[in-house]
Amino acid sequence: MGAAHSASEEVRELEGKTGFSSDQIEQLHRRFKQLSGDQPTIRKENFNNVPDLELNPIRSKIVRAFFDNRNLRKGPSGLADEINFEDFLTIMSYFRPIDTTMDEEQVELSRKEKLRFLFHMYDSDSDGRITLEEYRNVVEELLSGNPHIEKESARSIADGAMMEAASVCMGQMEPDQVYEGITFEDFLKIWQGIDIETKMHVRFLNMETMALCH
Amino acid sequence: MFLLLPFDSLIVNLLGISLTVLFTLLLVFIIVPAIFGVSFGIRKLYMKTLLKIFAWATLRMERGAKEKNHQLYKPYTNGIIAKDPTSLEEEIKEIRRSGSSKALDNTPEFELSDIFYFCRKGMETIMDDEVTKRFSAEELESWNLLSRTNYNFQYISLRLTVLWGLGVLIRYCFLLPLRIALAFTGISLLVVGTTVVGYLPNGRFKEFMSKHVHLMCYRICVRALTAIITYHDRENRPRNGGICVANHTSPIDVIILASDGYYAMVGQVHGGLMGVIQRAMVKACPHVWFERSEVKDRHLVHFIVSCILGTCINNTSVMMFKKGSFEIGATVYPVAIKYDPQFGDAFWNSSKYGMVTYLLRMMTSWAIVCSVWYLPPMTREADEDAVQFANRVKSAIARQGGLVDLLWDGGLKREKVKDTFKEEQQKLYSKMIVGNHKDRSRS
Repeated sequence: MGAAHSASEEVRELEGKTGFSSDQIEQLHRRFKQLSGDQPTIRKENFNNVPDLELNPIRSKIVRAFFDNRNLRKGPSGLADEINFEDFLTIMSYFRPIDTTMDEEQVELSRKEKLRFLFHMYDSDSDGRITLEEYRNVVEELLSGNPHIEKESARSIADGAMMEAASVCMGQMEPDQVYEGITFEDFLKIWQGIDIETKMHVRFLNMETMALCH
Repeated sequence: MFLLLPFDSLIVNLLGISLTVLFTLLLVFIIVPAIFGVSFGIRKLYMKTLLKIFAWATLRMERGAKEKNHQLYKPYTNGIIAKDPTSLEEEIKEIRRSGSSKALDNTPEFELSDIFYFCRKGMETIMDDEVTKRFSAEELESWNLLSRTNYNFQYISLRLTVLWGLGVLIRYCFLLPLRIALAFTGISLLVVGTTVVGYLPNGRFKEFMSKHVHLMCYRICVRALTAIITYHDRENRPRNGGICVANHTSPIDVIILASDGYYAMVGQVHGGLMGVIQRAMVKACPHVWFERSEVKDRHLVHFIVSCILGTCINNTSVMMFKKGSFEIGATVYPVAIKYDPQFGDAFWNSSKYGMVTYLLRMMTSWAIVCSVWYLPPMTREADEDAVQFANRVKSAIARQGGLVDLLWDGGLKREKVKDTFKEEQQKLYSKMIVGNHKDRSRS
């Protein structure tokens, strides 16, 4: 537990960068150490230690999101091999609840960031578009493991949803016009006016008397 | 050279005398009472003294903290996330409803938004996971002079450090060798005793001898750990032909229960020293030792009573018992065991410590204090199946011990989550979507 002077400075720096409070950072740091086995970095394998995560059908996409360079703001594509605590917090910060004290511009920015995180989850080849293949891939993963749904049904569901998205984004299409994929602007358009902020955040408990030993 | 000689013999003499004294003390105060099942009350006195010392130590720390105007670090064990108990269906319906700017009759079968739910759930489990939390040791509020449980190092004054140093000295140099000697005596007596009894012809005498050999050795082991046990409701003690079921925090549970009653045990085969002990015990009494994965042995025995084991879990929750123990139609005597972590943490995190390290930790703590509650017997009713009965027993035990009831099976720690659970989630989700799909095609 950091009682040294430099540690609290680090915490303050992280507070500024990621927007978490110092209590939350301390809690997340303990969690980070638990996941990494007291190492300074986490690799993909460390997420196998979270048994509850196994239940999640899109587990691999979530884990991948942690190492995605676009989410880590380290590059336009590719995956990192391991992440440190600051990277961990950066990813977690996408799920911070909307602060009531934020002004409209900040709310808009936060919302865009959250949607971008989601977009990256769909767009696995980092080409900036969600193609039909990528969409199908997500639907199949969500529906995988159920023996009653054949691949065909999963596909048709994906195709149907993709057509919906196309109609929203491009309006009426010519018969030979090909819809290449959903770009981020289209993605934003789909979500215009719909309140996603309340669904894309983790609710932290109010922690009392959690003073650190400074 | 010559000058050294008298000193030499003096030292040797002193050593000899102190060893003899030690052994006599050992014999008189510990082993003899163990054989006859009486107690001098030394351990209770010891416990009271320790409590007074701990209270003083915590007071000093709080005073130190107040001087510096800070608060002591009180670890928050209840998790950091407010998890909403809504189900998968409700949440997804809500998400879709909030997106109802689309045409009302044109409910899409699958929306990009569905991924929100799983995304958030995934993040929440990464941040704070119910099952993993259960597996780390409980954290204390007052300090018990063991450095392993202290998070407030900077508030220790000089006096406290001296006290702590003294504590270390006592624990490692006096208590530890004493306990090891006792344990050694106890175990070797057990092995030798049961082997000898095994050679006797089957009959009442053999049973009588076996019972007493077992009891005696367990009592010695109990003293080897300085386990201070309080038994409640002894009138409900398991009787012949019943099955004793208890919550399992550590291998010490077996010793604690077995020192108060004669049980035939059902348990997992271990290697090494435990294996030797197990094999010896089998000679005198019909215990059943099985491989964890094989469960067919369970209906073997003419059980006298058997202890049921599960995975070691932290003291605060009771995991689902292995279903197998409840399928034989006998009377079940539930027993709740609760450890007081103030004197020594009995929790064994098997992935972190091996057996020997664990035992050493136990033997260098102050004492193991626990309470054992014998609950009234239960039988399976006609309309319950094994699982429901198991849950009923489990909640009775949890209620008594003040432990938190948790539906998870402790086996999670070792194996990966069974695929059936994962499929359940996905089935539920896909049912929702395919349901919609079918409705549309019908209309």
